[in-house]
Amino acid sequence: MSAALAATGTARKAAPDRLVVARPGRPGLVTVLRLAAGGGRADRVRIALTAVGAAAAVVALLAAATVAATGADDGPYTSALLNEPGLHPGVVAALVLLCVPVLTFTGQCARIGAPARDRRLATLRLIGATPADVRRIAGAETALAAALGALAGLGAYLLGRALLGTPVIATRSVQREVPLENGDLQFIIESVTGPALQLPTDVLPSWQVIVLGVVAVPLGAGIAGQLALRRVALTPFGLVRAARVRPVRLIPLVAFLAGTAGMAVFSGIIRLLEPPASAAPAIALLFLLLFLLSVTGLIMGTAALASMIGGIVAPRTGRPALLIAARRLRAAPHDASRANAAVLTVVMVAAAVQGYRENLLLATANNTSDVYASGTYLASLALLIGGIVAALGLLVGAVESVLTRRRTLAALVAAGTPTAVLRRAVLLEVLLPLTPAILVSTAAGALAARGLFGTTVQTSGEVVMAEGPVVPVTMIEVPVPWMELGTVAGLALTLTALLTLAVMPLLTRAVDATELRTT
Amino acid sequence: MTTNPRPTPSPNAPPQDALLSARALVKSYEHAPALRGVSFSASRGEIVAITGPSGSGKSTLLLCLAGILIPDAGEVRFDGLRLDEASEAERSRLRRTSFGVLFQFGQLVPELSASENVALPLLLGGRPRRAAVAAAGTWLDRFGVSDLGERRPGEVSGGQAQRIAMARAMVTEPQVLFADEPTGALDTLAGEQVMTQLTRVAREAGTTVLLVTHEATIAAYADREVAVRDGMIDTDAFATSTVAR
Repeated sequence: MSAALAATGTARKAAPDRLVVARPGRPGLVTVLRLAAGGGRADRVRIALTAVGAAAAVVALLAAATVAATGADDGPYTSALLNEPGLHPGVVAALVLLCVPVLTFTGQCARIGAPARDRRLATLRLIGATPADVRRIAGAETALAAALGALAGLGAYLLGRALLGTPVIATRSVQREVPLENGDLQFIIESVTGPALQLPTDVLPSWQVIVLGVVAVPLGAGIAGQLALRRVALTPFGLVRAARVRPVRLIPLVAFLAGTAGMAVFSGIIRLLEPPASAAPAIALLFLLLFLLSVTGLIMGTAALASMIGGIVAPRTGRPALLIAARRLRAAPHDASRANAAVLTVVMVAAAVQGYRENLLLATANNTSDVYASGTYLASLALLIGGIVAALGLLVGAVESVLTRRRTLAALVAAGTPTAVLRRAVLLEVLLPLTPAILVSTAAGALAARGLFGTTVQTSGEVVMAEGPVVPVTMIEVPVPWMELGTVAGLALTLTALLTLAVMPLLTRAVDATELRTT
Repeated sequence: MTTNPRPTPSPNAPPQDALLSARALVKSYEHAPALRGVSFSASRGEIVAITGPSGSGKSTLLLCLAGILIPDAGEVRFDGLRLDEASEAERSRLRRTSFGVLFQFGQLVPELSASENVALPLLLGGRPRRAAVAAAGTWLDRFGVSDLGERRPGEVSGGQAQRIAMARAMVTEPQVLFADEPTGALDTLAGEQVMTQLTRVAREAGTTVLLVTHEATIAAYADREVAVRDGMIDTDAFATSTVAR
């Protein structure tokens, strides 16, 4: 040790009462939680909706884990889909996918009351909290809400098991194997009436899986909350988001077109290449990648679409509502794409499921088992739920959009703008980019199904009877399920329009003249 | 009592030439009274400053006079029409055609260009886009901001934004312009420039201006000053104001 350093050390020891700048302390967990939960009404709404979203995600995850744990010896169940272990991976995938719109909805909810929360956090900085403290508080709010929701979700799951655990008398199809004299097997489908469970309430995943499901959601939410603030300058004068003015790119559109075109010709190319059976997993992975490319391109391309629509319409229209909507799309196209992402994903998957359903039902037209019909029915039901949740996210986005602009809107009304004009502007802002995007995503989903499953199917023939096999194989052209696709697109548009209309009473209140008082 | 350097008739009997008048206005927000029996009148082409401290009720008075708020009691007349009895649609139409409104901030639509912001009231009135934008250009020019027509509100200074807002308030050539703290968010120099242009254009157009402000220097641009305190006309301010003038 040098003499100088030794002297310094001596001096420190010799002067214990000198001013020492201590390492600043960190607020304890209780303080952080109190500050996180100490907001106003908008904060409480945000926390409640985050909890609801987390609860729904946990229920979906635990349901998926339950189906995954269900074996051939469990049951029987009223749903043929649950009685066929081979179909369980599809059910599990559908339940996990259901988490996507749920989590997107939760992400949209995080925007509720954001300006007020930003001011609150800025005040904390003003009174001495460090940026890290503020991030912890913001992250704690999300994680706390999600943790409460996750526990509620676990409770709902266990309660559901108890309530739905009583068997009911149901008629179900059972496939039985009968050996023939020539050594072949004959499959006979019989109807059996007896007690069966509605859901796999007789199966409980391992406790490790349950804990993982319950912990993963709040943990993910907390990390997402931290990530959301990573580009935010947490100053005592307010939270300044380092929002880059992101130019709208055409690359997403190219990705969407490439992905969709690839899916549309997929089975044709695979037939030409005649790959060995061992390549099946790679082929499935390739298709999945094309699907993801298409979905991602569509979602990100919605911003380009919104901007393009705004750019075309705004300079030409003389209608005030259309002008306001188009200019807003042009100015903030990413707002529209964020809100629409989950809806478009659900629509694309739903359209693909309808296409698949058409193939499946034709191919199994002679099969008396209801397993295929009930499978596609359940998938459609799951997608409808996902669609409703996704549309609710859209509603939350519209509410936040109105609330953050309420002073400008109130000033417009004060200047004589009829509220009806603003109502139309809000509706157009949602529907202008969403209508073509829904039509395009429906078409892409249908193309994906036809590309993967082909445009012709081979019938499975008739059920083999004891007198001898009668299996006339025929090739049938699969028609485009226009009605079903129209229903998917129509439902999505109607749902989003209705939910946007639900914002209108709020708009009427938001433009109240009291917003204009300065003194 | 109104604090007017010129002779004024009784507050409860608006003058015969009054374009806009109010009698015994009462207005409360929930349980907090904002106006407690205010009477007021303004003639054609007159510029009137409504002054008072924060929370005195001056903005509420302005909003009632503009037909934006409905008073709990009392009456507001514009050119013989009872505003407090008119429907929301009628009052909206009036504000679109005969009134102009100007606020401290937040009045321009941030996504619209300056030109489109100014043209908006004309578009609402059914004017074709080309004609509306042309008229907007004329008014932007009168306020010295014609070169900002394609800019959006976020791309101009506070003073420039306020001039664009003035052009929008005047584009319909209103009979009355209601201005609530129009310079409240501006520095002294920008505020004076805005007031100079506002009063010049209003006098040229013969527009009545009701100007809410708490700044004496801004109130000095008016022909007369009405002081409000605790929801009532401040009679004590009359003497001070008169002596000062």
